[in-house]
Amino acid sequence: MNKQALFVFALGGLYAFSSAAAEPEAAWLALGHYRPGLLGGYEGSIDSPGFYLAANGRTDPEAELKASIELFAEGTDKEKICLFPARYKYLLNKGLIEPVNIECEEFAGFKEDLQPAGVTLLFTDAYMNSPSSLFGHTLLRIDTARKGTQMIAHGANYGAYTDGENGVLYAVYGLTGGYYGGWTVKPYYNIINTYNNIENRDIWELNLDFSAEELDMFVAHLWEIGHTQTRYYFFTKNCSYMLMEALDAVRPELRLADKFPLQTIPLDTFKAVYRAPGLVKGVNYRPSRQAKIVHRLQQMNRGQKKALLAAVQENDYTLAELPEGEKADVLETAYQYVQYQLVKKDLPLPEYRRRSFALLTARNRLADAKAKISENPEGRSPLEAHEAMRATVGVGSRNGESFQEISYRPAYHSLTDNNYGLLPGAEINFLNFKIRHYDESKKTVLSRFDLLGIRSLSPVDSLFAPVSFAISLNVARELNPVNYKEGYAANVKVGGGGTVALGRSMYAYVAGNAYASYGGFLPHGQYLGFGAAAGLFVDFSRFKLLAEAEKVFATTWYGNKIKYRLEANIPLTTNVGLAAEYAYDDNSKGRDEEEFVSSLRFYF
Amino acid sequence: MKKFYLLSAAAALVLAASSAQAVDSTGCGLGSMAWRGQSGPVPQVLAVTTNGMTGSQTFGITFGTSGCDPNGRVTGGTQRMVFHFIENNMEQYALDAARGEGETLDTLAGMLNVDKADFAAKSQENFASIFPDGNVDAIYVTQQIFAMVKA
Repeated sequence: MNKQALFVFALGGLYAFSSAAAEPEAAWLALGHYRPGLLGGYEGSIDSPGFYLAANGRTDPEAELKASIELFAEGTDKEKICLFPARYKYLLNKGLIEPVNIECEEFAGFKEDLQPAGVTLLFTDAYMNSPSSLFGHTLLRIDTARKGTQMIAHGANYGAYTDGENGVLYAVYGLTGGYYGGWTVKPYYNIINTYNNIENRDIWELNLDFSAEELDMFVAHLWEIGHTQTRYYFFTKNCSYMLMEALDAVRPELRLADKFPLQTIPLDTFKAVYRAPGLVKGVNYRPSRQAKIVHRLQQMNRGQKKALLAAVQENDYTLAELPEGEKADVLETAYQYVQYQLVKKDLPLPEYRRRSFALLTARNRLADAKAKISENPEGRSPLEAHEAMRATVGVGSRNGESFQEISYRPAYHSLTDNNYGLLPGAEINFLNFKIRHYDESKKTVLSRFDLLGIRSLSPVDSLFAPVSFAISLNVARELNPVNYKEGYAANVKVGGGGTVALGRSMYAYVAGNAYASYGGFLPHGQYLGFGAAAGLFVDFSRFKLLAEAEKVFATTWYGNKIKYRLEANIPLTTNVGLAAEYAYDDNSKGRDEEEFVSSLRFYF
Repeated sequence: MKKFYLLSAAAALVLAASSAQAVDSTGCGLGSMAWRGQSGPVPQVLAVTTNGMTGSQTFGITFGTSGCDPNGRVTGGTQRMVFHFIENNMEQYALDAARGEGETLDTLAGMLNVDKADFAAKSQENFASIFPDGNVDAIYVTQQIFAMVKA
């Protein structure tokens, strides 16, 4: 076919393409990141103006298609042509353009460095120590065909470009789209270091089953969106959401982005990809450094544990009392622990180096010995964690009056929920609200609204010393125990303390809490308080119990009380639980209050 | 009610902060160099490059200011790749070399195109000369690796 004929053919194809289907092809829409517009039609989600070639390309996929065909048909604007290798492939495959004889050196260099062999979706665990990572994070890896391991593959990360703001400003920008999000690419070994070794977060890998053609398309499309920036919204157009659009661009029938119209929780996107038919061919787990240390510790015998503590606390590397065969485990674990300490800034650099080398030299002298205990735990897959949304239905009684209640929580996890696959001892409750109907007074009321509740019970032991903490912001319907007036109080609670493990599944904690409450019906309208609490958390797989007693000292009599709380849950399946809660307030004036409720919890 | 609104706003902010995922501001946020026309973490790239002139990364630095390839990619010839790999993984390689097994040995053997088992054995044997003391830097370790593989 000569050139002219091909051009005519292409125009014909374009005509057929645009007239045959009233709707633009799904593949083209996905490639252009077109989403249904608010008032019908389409709107492209990429903000960089250069991403859409036609003047109205962002809202008109047809015009954009035409402009793209023109770009390649003219075949002269190298800079632009080299920005759109995925569109080029798409249009070429459709027969809408003829091959363009332009060499794109930068893109070729990109592929040459990556040497792509596959695509893997990565999920990194929640990280309670940083507010930026409570819900975990996802990123993509372009697997490499290079000899060696995937350590020299590349990760592609979508994130917000911040200027290092913290706190309120950071949050305001994040909520209102004040930051731009963009893509970065770096070697996978840097990502392993960041997450596994510095932040001590587990990484889960989903190997995607892409054909060679799809892989090629993915890399080309990554190059296209890699040059763009888009306003970043913490809840919706966030790190995980953009990955969904990127995967849709490769396989439009996945329609992954459609699944996240309102909120995008990283773990939900990870599950959505896992559940998409024919998309995942393998799951792999990369435990964090801390998880490895804990796993090794659990397998050690008493003598080894003693020697390990002597090594890391008293710098005794002789391990004199241990049989030869048991030394390697101890030295390797101690070395990992020294690395952990450096990252935690518990060791100055010169001391760290001294210890590292003493341990490694001792380990190297045992040349023939092999570690006997396994280094990597099996892990509890987040794919098997309960769903993030929760609804409950329950019945109970409050100060003798019976009620029925329903509650709904869009995200994410309570301590007494089934925590398989989630960070143990961590709780994030967001927008949880509870509505009750009281039988006697025939009232239906909002009984509680949790704007946010974060809790972390993390046990302190001889090697690790994490702080346990709690933050709660809620509005609750409360009762004045003297005049029996009811009303709403807004409550803030911030607390910190320590947790110790009593065996593998039981934890005891103490905490100091600060309170501030406000409500028109409260005596004096408000109070400040301080509480000292002690509690027990029982964490068996089929039974969860949280028991707490707290004495609160407040600026008004209303806040002065001793609070007792019991909360138990029996996870029946991954997504159903049978729960019971009991609360007793020993008030400083008026009558005491007592409440009991039993409920069914559903996760979806 | 005013205070309630204030509280709500404060809570929304805390939560927003909690669900943000920033492009990390430490380490190698260098991918931007791979994309033209982005002004992301470029100043950092310059800082790292400046550091590079005063000497290469030393032991334990991976966890402080991560050593980075200005391209943010695994690139260049074998020597450059190995050097950057060592800059970023010296601590793990030291452990793997001392014990004679591990992922970094497999990775380096692949990069150097040598037999994995052989490279692991050699690394373990030569541990003391590759890592003579705690002040070694990535250039020295890389040189030792190349000398060892050639021997």
